[in-house]
Amino acid sequence: MHIADGLLPAQVCLGGYGITGLLLHQSLRRIDRRPNPKAEVPKASLLTAAFFVASSLYIPLPPTSVHLVLNGLVGVILADYAFPAILIGLLFQALVFGHGGLTTLGINGVIMGVPALLASGIFRYRPAGVAREPIAGSQPRPFTLGLFAFCAGAVGVGLSALFFFGIVLATLPLDMATHTERRILYGLLLAHGPLMVLEGIFTLLVVLFLHRVKPSLLPPPARRVAPAAPLQETP
Amino acid sequence: MTRSPCHSPSHGLDLATPHAHLNSPLHRWDPSHKILGILALIFAFALVQDLRLVPPMMAISATYYGLSQLPLSLWWQRLRYPGLFMGGVVFLLPWVSGSTVVAQWGSLTLYQEGLTLALVIVGRFISILTLGLVLLGTSPFLTTVKALRSLGLPSILADMILLTYRYLYDLDAMFHTMQQAMGLRGYGWRSSHLPQESPIQPWGQRLQQLANLAGTLLIRSYEQSDRVYQAMGLRGYSLPQAPRPFPIPPTPSHSLGLILTLAIVLIFVITDWILVQ
Repeated sequence: MHIADGLLPAQVCLGGYGITGLLLHQSLRRIDRRPNPKAEVPKASLLTAAFFVASSLYIPLPPTSVHLVLNGLVGVILADYAFPAILIGLLFQALVFGHGGLTTLGINGVIMGVPALLASGIFRYRPAGVAREPIAGSQPRPFTLGLFAFCAGAVGVGLSALFFFGIVLATLPLDMATHTERRILYGLLLAHGPLMVLEGIFTLLVVLFLHRVKPSLLPPPARRVAPAAPLQETP
Repeated sequence: MTRSPCHSPSHGLDLATPHAHLNSPLHRWDPSHKILGILALIFAFALVQDLRLVPPMMAISATYYGLSQLPLSLWWQRLRYPGLFMGGVVFLLPWVSGSTVVAQWGSLTLYQEGLTLALVIVGRFISILTLGLVLLGTSPFLTTVKALRSLGLPSILADMILLTYRYLYDLDAMFHTMQQAMGLRGYGWRSSHLPQESPIQPWGQRLQQLANLAGTLLIRSYEQSDRVYQAMGLRGYSLPQAPRPFPIPPTPSHSLGLILTLAIVLIFVITDWILVQ
């Protein structure tokens, strides 16, 4: 789902850089508002490297095998750092494997990064008390946590596919009627349905694993329940 | 981190720039000027829409590549994989796009407009890829990032690029060791790793194992990052830093290179605009 150099007109590439620049600026502003913005840079960087490595996993999806995109999971775990992390991942993919390119880094950033931000938002707005350790006495509910993780993972890859095919079909002069292009787009998206389910299930499984083993890796929900009063010891 | 190819993991994750220490005019060019000049040229090439500009565009990128003294084998190696993908995409264009018929075989019709567009796209792709290789292959990666930092790349982004680059190989090696260990214990996807007596695991169970593997990698990298941050803190990492100019001041020949490249950019942009009009 990476657009290669030369395929798109320069105006689209520059537009992609413009949108990416704005989103990056917003992400960096949110990071700068933190008490010590540099403290989390090593964590975000190593997790970016880990995601890059993990995305090389191939999963059999009969009759073929697919590799995971993981942009939804990146959004879920890295939150504010997700967009810079996606851009860095795309840069390395262009340098190492030749997927994507330098002129299309901006538009590829939009294709992969915007869905990651949306996935991050979906996961952040899960009901309070279902992530991390039990908060204020409410027990964690893995089902709700898993449901939000599934949605985040599936939306991540589904929206990326929609952006990718939409941009390619809109910019290449294929001389097709609008309804034909729309049909092709729907067909391609339908073909990505199993991928969305797979990516959603994988994100769900990883999030539940982290919830069990290392809950501090999951970002807290946006709305937390008020902490309960400490229990008074009876004499 | 520049790791020698012999230490690179087996599956080809290779970011090292082994030709970065040659002594060509492109290698000697000031990295900040090189980034500005070549990126401008790359975007000027991305603007090209007229087929008549494709031969000069390819000749210019070939000249830059020749001046860089990078081996042709490297160019071929980098072109091969994305070229296959690009070939698949542009192969369709001459058959579906356009109205002027060039040739017809039964229901297959070759259109002139589609053919022209496919040739322009291939020309742009090869030229941009060649220039990208010149840009990144003639300086060590760290030098390129430092030059980008001096050009105003935000410090958080520059630090993240360098740290990701530094730990990419380590995590890749760790991940493959973990995968191998999983395989030896009878888990994983590849049946060649499974002992003969291993029962065939259901698909869901295997997916769960892979998710656990990815989760473990994330946890390990997270824990490693704590140690990395402490070590970086001891070296004064959290102190505020202003962007510094690149350590080597550009000489007049560096500026001449930039001026020449920008002149080519201008000629291309104006010519393409005139031809399209």
